[in-house]
Amino acid sequence: MATIDVARRRAPASLLAASLAVTARRLGEVWAEIRRSPTALVGLGILIFFVAIALFAPLLAHYPPLARVSESCNPICPGSPPSSQFPLGTSSRNADIYSEVIWGTQISLFVGILSAIVASVVGTTVGLISGFAGGWIDEVVMRFNDIVLSIPWLVLMIIVAALIGTIDVAGLILVIGLTGWSLTARVIRAQVLSVKERMFVERARMIGSSNLHLLWRHIFPNAFPLIFANTILTVAVSILSESVLAFLGLSTPDHVSWGKIISEAYENHAILNGNALWIVVPGLCIVVLVFGFYLFGYALDEILNPRLRRR
Amino acid sequence: MSLPLLEVRDLVVEFATRRGTVHAVGGASFELEEGESLGLAGESGCGKTTTALSLMRLLPQNGRIVSGSIRFQGRDLATAAEASLRRVRWRQISIVFQGAMNSLNPVHRIGKQIMEPILQHEHVEPKEARARATELLELVGLPARRIDEFPHEFSGGMRQRVMIAMALACRPKLVIADEPVTALDVMIQAQILDLLERLQRELGLSMIFISHDLSVLAETCDHVAIMYAGKMMELGRTVDVFTDPKHPYTQGLVGAFPDVRGPRVMPASIPGLVPSLISPPSGCVFHPRCKFAFDRCARAEPALSEISGDRRTACFLYPEVTEVPQRPLEATTP
Amino acid sequence: MPGDPTLSLFPRDPKYEGLAQYNRALFGLDKSPWEQFVIYLQRTVTLDWGTSYRLGEPVINVLAGDLAWTLLLVGTSTIFTILIGMLVGSYAAWRRGKPFDITSTGIGIFLYGMPIFWLGLMLQATLGNPRFHPFSWWPVYPTNLYYDDTLGPWRWDGAHIWSTLVHLILPAMTLALGSLAGVSLVMRSSLIDTMTEDFVVTARAKGLSERQVLLRHIFPNGLPPMVSLIALDLAFIIGGAYQVEVVFGYRGIGYRTIQAIDDLDYPLLQFIIVIGGVAIVLANLVSDFILLRLDPRIKIA
Repeated sequence: MATIDVARRRAPASLLAASLAVTARRLGEVWAEIRRSPTALVGLGILIFFVAIALFAPLLAHYPPLARVSESCNPICPGSPPSSQFPLGTSSRNADIYSEVIWGTQISLFVGILSAIVASVVGTTVGLISGFAGGWIDEVVMRFNDIVLSIPWLVLMIIVAALIGTIDVAGLILVIGLTGWSLTARVIRAQVLSVKERMFVERARMIGSSNLHLLWRHIFPNAFPLIFANTILTVAVSILSESVLAFLGLSTPDHVSWGKIISEAYENHAILNGNALWIVVPGLCIVVLVFGFYLFGYALDEILNPRLRRR
Repeated sequence: MSLPLLEVRDLVVEFATRRGTVHAVGGASFELEEGESLGLAGESGCGKTTTALSLMRLLPQNGRIVSGSIRFQGRDLATAAEASLRRVRWRQISIVFQGAMNSLNPVHRIGKQIMEPILQHEHVEPKEARARATELLELVGLPARRIDEFPHEFSGGMRQRVMIAMALACRPKLVIADEPVTALDVMIQAQILDLLERLQRELGLSMIFISHDLSVLAETCDHVAIMYAGKMMELGRTVDVFTDPKHPYTQGLVGAFPDVRGPRVMPASIPGLVPSLISPPSGCVFHPRCKFAFDRCARAEPALSEISGDRRTACFLYPEVTEVPQRPLEATTP
Repeated sequence: MPGDPTLSLFPRDPKYEGLAQYNRALFGLDKSPWEQFVIYLQRTVTLDWGTSYRLGEPVINVLAGDLAWTLLLVGTSTIFTILIGMLVGSYAAWRRGKPFDITSTGIGIFLYGMPIFWLGLMLQATLGNPRFHPFSWWPVYPTNLYYDDTLGPWRWDGAHIWSTLVHLILPAMTLALGSLAGVSLVMRSSLIDTMTEDFVVTARAKGLSERQVLLRHIFPNGLPPMVSLIALDLAFIIGGAYQVEVVFGYRGIGYRTIQAIDDLDYPLLQFIIVIGGVAIVLANLVSDFILLRLDPRIKIA
């Protein structure tokens, strides 16, 4: 026994190095597969495009966020159609729509990604615990999950929003994150259950591995690719959710997001008033960005999920 | 000499995959006379199942028969039209799959599944089809009253019997059994094998028996063909092949089986790993693992040639063995 | 959303706080939580759902009316969604890899990621706008409700019914399109999963034609997972319905919900949540029942 303990204590460093090496190799393989798949490449391309816009927003936008272009026209300005100075026209608040769209990229991506991470972390934790613990803990958590999944998500979001109180960016992220975890939890739990069944877990347990060790070295690495692909798809959903909330007027008042732009445009009958781009462009941005996430996530799922590969 | 029931010549089957073209079968040739049984032996992934599926052209979407002929009762099935092929399927040739776990449709009752091919190929009343199905169930030793139950209500061994009953539904000439007993425990194995043997005798069936378990084949087949990495290594009467294996691979396989009566020693295994079917070794596909290999083996591919009355082998150790003519593509590799 | 931070998370646990005094008394909020709970249960069962803050009418009246309209919308569009979605998905799976599959899947993913409200806006702008569209009889601007105001209050007569149907076209179309993508994609992947099962090979080996294999073997096995997934999807469909109602000014539950949020109309909101939950539970029950009939392997646990 003593020798095994010594071995285990000495091992961690080299174990870490070894597992990093394995991960690196796997990443290399995955990257090669990504390069081979047109779906993944198109999706990735779209994502990079938007991330670039978000990152370079200060350079690309003509005006800072929420700024008015001129003071001569106050709140109830009908907005003017696109011109050479304002590529997408001005809004009813006399802000440059083009700039708004650029700034909106930041918010959409930021909220989308962060809330997806929240949802994934919560979902993964819940899924791992539930799947691993089994028994009545599992039952209770799954019932809870069912209930959460059962309530129409919009309503759920409203509830959580009300609970949290203020809607600032953090609040928004929490709201979307806390409503999106249920599906991830389910998926992860299923994976944990299937891994748990496998023989090697039994054997590892037999040689005395602690539960945590089991979780970390065996279950997690198997589940991780799944989590990653799932997260990407969750981001897509989060972005959509954010835009819906914004459109319905439930989003943060002090940041510009695409949904918000559309809602403004709608209220001001943009199309009737000749500035169709006001509605169309932000909407297209949402659609294309989400499309990009779906494509990439879908392709990644196919690559990382060995079962799907054989088809 | 009468025409053999089945005559396969130089069958080549490939699969198109993401990673490249998989050469699943590289030139298989064998015959089967009526009433005889042929065993196809080899490790997993050596091409046995692919060969069997090709006989009925049941390959998945990405597989295709590149060249070769499959003459069944004189007609070449490899090039036949799909419509006429459908008439041959099950009526003349049927198949019993391995692991009948999933080979039966879970949402149909077994009676219906047995009746299905009967109703498909013959113009009979459903009542008669049902009567025949009942008979078949009794033939394979299952209680006829269970005809309306679902597959999941049966055990593995019983499901296999259902599959056998189903395979015999249209009274075919040839039955292909693909690892029919692999997934079963030993006692049930013996029962199923007995059943198959009995049916073959009583009904005069011809059978192709696929298995990686040599002992099973030794019991049931008149002739046996050994496959490795998609190529046929040896072909001959079962008794002969197993008592006097000619090909080094066969020798290795036979040697790997512990002898019940012999000394208690660890059987020797064949060193090395099965080669990739996407980029197989040049020349003889077995040469990297063969202890008798010499330089001709790496340069040229031995063809399955006759070395004595009923025995064929593909190894340059035997002077009668000729070379496979190189295909133009391969000639370009250094 | 500004306003009161505490709202009941689950209808089982009402704890109102921070409302004006007279409201408290009016709505019985000054009693202890236990008493409130009991009264709550009592009221729920006897369908006495309190009075909407804003409208001053009993909640149940308000909601019952809205519910009918929303059901009409969701019902019609779901029928189309399921029918067309299943057809498209099946055909795409059958002709897998061929042009139809690639295009329909691509369009599907595209639509799947489209915010429904935007889709509604686009349709409204193109098909609803007399300038663009030859058929000038898609009236869809927000002020039009589920039927023409000018016809007077609802009656079961031809004019009203016709008007309703016409007004239903665009909203239903939007909702249907938005959800169709999901259904067809799920159908397709479920069928493709089934296609690689062993018994399909068996079926082909029996000499059945591709079509027979599809209809007799693949379909019955591919359908069950889709049924349960659709039931799960219902939550999203309802979310979509809310958006459609707002965009088209269709006065159903969704529209009412958004208004209620704006007005912080708690009794209304609370029961909207209950209805939503009940609806989903019902839908799941129905789908479970359907599954029971479709798949002999499932037994009542």
